[in-house]
Amino acid sequence: MTVDPEQVAHRVDAEHLELGGGLEILLAAALERVAPDGVLEIRTPSRAVALELPGWARLAGHEPIDQINRPDGHVVTIRRGSSTRILAGPLPPREAGPPLRHGEMHTAGWRGGAVTPEPDPRAGFAPLGAVPETGAPTHHWRLSRLDKVWADDVGVLVDQASGEQWDASRDIPWETARGLDDTTERAVAQVMTFLAQNEYAALYVPAGFLPHVNPQLVELVLWLGSHIHDEARHIEVFTKRSLAGGHHGYALASTELSLSTLLDEHDFTASSLLLNVLGEGTFLDLLHFIDIHAPDAATAAAARLAHRDERRHVHFGISNIRRSVTIDPDLVVPLVAAAETRAAKLVSLSGLSPVLVEALTIMAAQSLQPADLSGAAADVRALMQTMERNRLRRLQACGFATATARHLSDLHTPNLM
Amino acid sequence: MSATELRLGAVAYHPRIVTIWERFRIYFADAGVPTDYVLFSNYERLVDAVLDGTVDIGWNTNTAYVALDHRAGGQTRILGMRDVDRDWATVVVVRKGQQAGSVTGLTGRVLALGSRDSGHAAILPLYYLATEGLDVESLHLLRFDTDLGKHGDTGDSELHVVRAVAEGEADAGALSAAYFSAFRAESVPAVADLEVLWRSPDYYHCNFTVLDSLDRELSERWSRALLAMDYDGPTLRQAMDLEGVRRWYPGDREGYASLQAAMREQALLS
Repeated sequence: MTVDPEQVAHRVDAEHLELGGGLEILLAAALERVAPDGVLEIRTPSRAVALELPGWARLAGHEPIDQINRPDGHVVTIRRGSSTRILAGPLPPREAGPPLRHGEMHTAGWRGGAVTPEPDPRAGFAPLGAVPETGAPTHHWRLSRLDKVWADDVGVLVDQASGEQWDASRDIPWETARGLDDTTERAVAQVMTFLAQNEYAALYVPAGFLPHVNPQLVELVLWLGSHIHDEARHIEVFTKRSLAGGHHGYALASTELSLSTLLDEHDFTASSLLLNVLGEGTFLDLLHFIDIHAPDAATAAAARLAHRDERRHVHFGISNIRRSVTIDPDLVVPLVAAAETRAAKLVSLSGLSPVLVEALTIMAAQSLQPADLSGAAADVRALMQTMERNRLRRLQACGFATATARHLSDLHTPNLM
Repeated sequence: MSATELRLGAVAYHPRIVTIWERFRIYFADAGVPTDYVLFSNYERLVDAVLDGTVDIGWNTNTAYVALDHRAGGQTRILGMRDVDRDWATVVVVRKGQQAGSVTGLTGRVLALGSRDSGHAAILPLYYLATEGLDVESLHLLRFDTDLGKHGDTGDSELHVVRAVAEGEADAGALSAAYFSAFRAESVPAVADLEVLWRSPDYYHCNFTVLDSLDRELSERWSRALLAMDYDGPTLRQAMDLEGVRRWYPGDREGYASLQAAMREQALLS
C-alpha cells in the first residue's frame, strides 16, 4: 500500500537514531502530534532500521503501511493506532504549581483547594495531582471519609514531623550512660524498659490503621507514616538506654495487659482518644519528669527528644477529636463508651505498678538515702497530680465538657499509655 | 438466544493463557455466546480435538491451521484473527557491522532457527530465503527445538536464536519480527548489537478455526462477539494485552498460501 504525500500528518527524521537507542522515544513523541488513524512518515538512512520499524509499529499498536527505498535513504510510513495508550482523559494543562514560602514547599499548602470530604473509597495510589488510569484494581478503604479521620492542621504536623527528625545512634551522648552506680542504673533500666514496652503499642496502633486509609487523604497517610517512624525510633532509643548501663528491667505483665487493650480498639477516633490524647498525653508528663530528674545526660536527651515527637502526636489527637465532636456532638457517647470498655478490661489494675513507681523514685533520688528518697517520692506524687491536671486540660481542649473530661480522666488513671 | 455452549481449544504455552481465557469466557457469556475453553499441551492434540469434535473452535497457530485445513480437506472456516496476525513477518538478524549485505551473502554460513515446527522461526525462513536466491542447502542450520509442540509461541527458541547470533555461534538468525521487537522493547541484552538484515513478505499468523460443519449462524454470532471486543474499555484491556491484540479482524485464507507451500515443500503435511 502506498501513501499519498498529502495524507501524511507529520514527518520525522530519525537521522542516525536506532530502535533501542532512542528512536522509539522520538517516535512516541511524534505520534502524540498525530491523530488516531493519521499517518506518520519516518525517514532513516539505515536500511536495518527501516526493516525493523514495521515490527516496532505493530508492537506499539500502530499499522505499518509502506516502506520506500530512495537514493537518499528510506521512508517508512505508519498509521497511528486508534486505541488509547492510557485509559484516561488528557492531562490537565500546565499550572503554576504549589506556592513556595521562602523557597520551601509546605505540605499544608500543596493542595490547590480543599480536601474532598468523601474521596472515592475505591481509589488507588494515584498521587496528588495525578490522573488515574481506569481499569486498575480497585480497593475498599475503610478510612475514607474525611469526617472520620481528619485534623485541620495535619499538613502542618507532617511538615513538623519531617523537620524534627533525629538520630537515636548519634544524637544521644551515650558515653554519659556508662558510669552510674548499680542501684540507680537498675532503676533507669526498669524505667527505660517500661517506656520501650509502651512505645511498641504506640507504633502498632497507627501502623494498624495506615493500610486502611484512602491514599487520596495523603496528608493523613504521611502523618501516620511519621507517627510510626517516630515510635520506632522511641523503641530504639529507650531500648538502647536500657541496655547501655548493662542492667536489665522487667517487661511487666500488667503493662502488657494495659497495652493489649489499645490494640483492641479499631475505631480511628476512639483510638485517637485512648492513644494520642490520654496515653501519649500522659506520657508527655512522664517524659518531662524523666528529662528533669535523669541521672545522666543520655537518659535526659532520650526523654527530651521523644517528648518533642509525642507533643505532635498529642496535638493531632486533640485536633482530630475536636474536629470530630464539633461536626458530630453525638460522637461523645461512643468515645466515652470506648474508654469505659477499655477500663472494664483492666479491672485487675489498681494503679501504676509498684515496680515502676519504685524505679522512678530511685532514678530521681539517685540513691537509697532516706532524705533523697523522701524528696524523690514527693516528686513522683507531684508527677501523678500533674498528669491528672494536664489530662483534664487536654480533654477539655478536645471539646469534652468538664464532667465528661473528669470521667474520662478517671477511667484512664490505672494506665500511663 | 441460544444457550449452546461452544468449546474452544487453546494451547497452554504460558500460565497467562488461563488468565486470558477466564476473562474471555466471562466476556463471551455476557455477549450471549457462552464459550468454555479446553487447554492442550501442544497444537497437534488441539488439531486432533477440532477434527474429532472434542472442541468446536481451535485457537491455532498458522502451522496448526494449515495442518488442520489440510486434514479436513479444506473444509474449515476462519472466525477471526488478531491485528498482529494480519502482517506477521520473519526477520533475519545479524550482528551490527557484519556487512552481510543481502541474504545471499549468507551462503555457506551458520543460520540459527527456532523450533522446527514454528512457521515463523523455522519453516517459512527456509522457504522465503530460497525464493530470495539463497542456496539453503549450503547453510549450516543451528536449530533450537526448545518448545516443540508449541509452534514457537513461547518465544523461547527465538531467544536462543538471538543469543546464538549475539555470541557468534551463528552468523545469522531467523525469528518473527514480533518477537525481535518485543526483545528490543524489553531491552533483552542479546539484541542490543543485532540488526535486521532482511524482512520477509507479510503473512498471516494465528486464527480461530472451525470445521465447516459447525452451525454457521452460531459461529457467525461468535465472530461478531469476538470482533466487538473493546480494547479501550477497562474490563478487557488486561486480557487483550496478554493475548497481544488490540483489535480482532475477520480472517481469510489469503495470507496462509506461503506457509501451505512451504509445509508441502518440506513434507510437513501428511
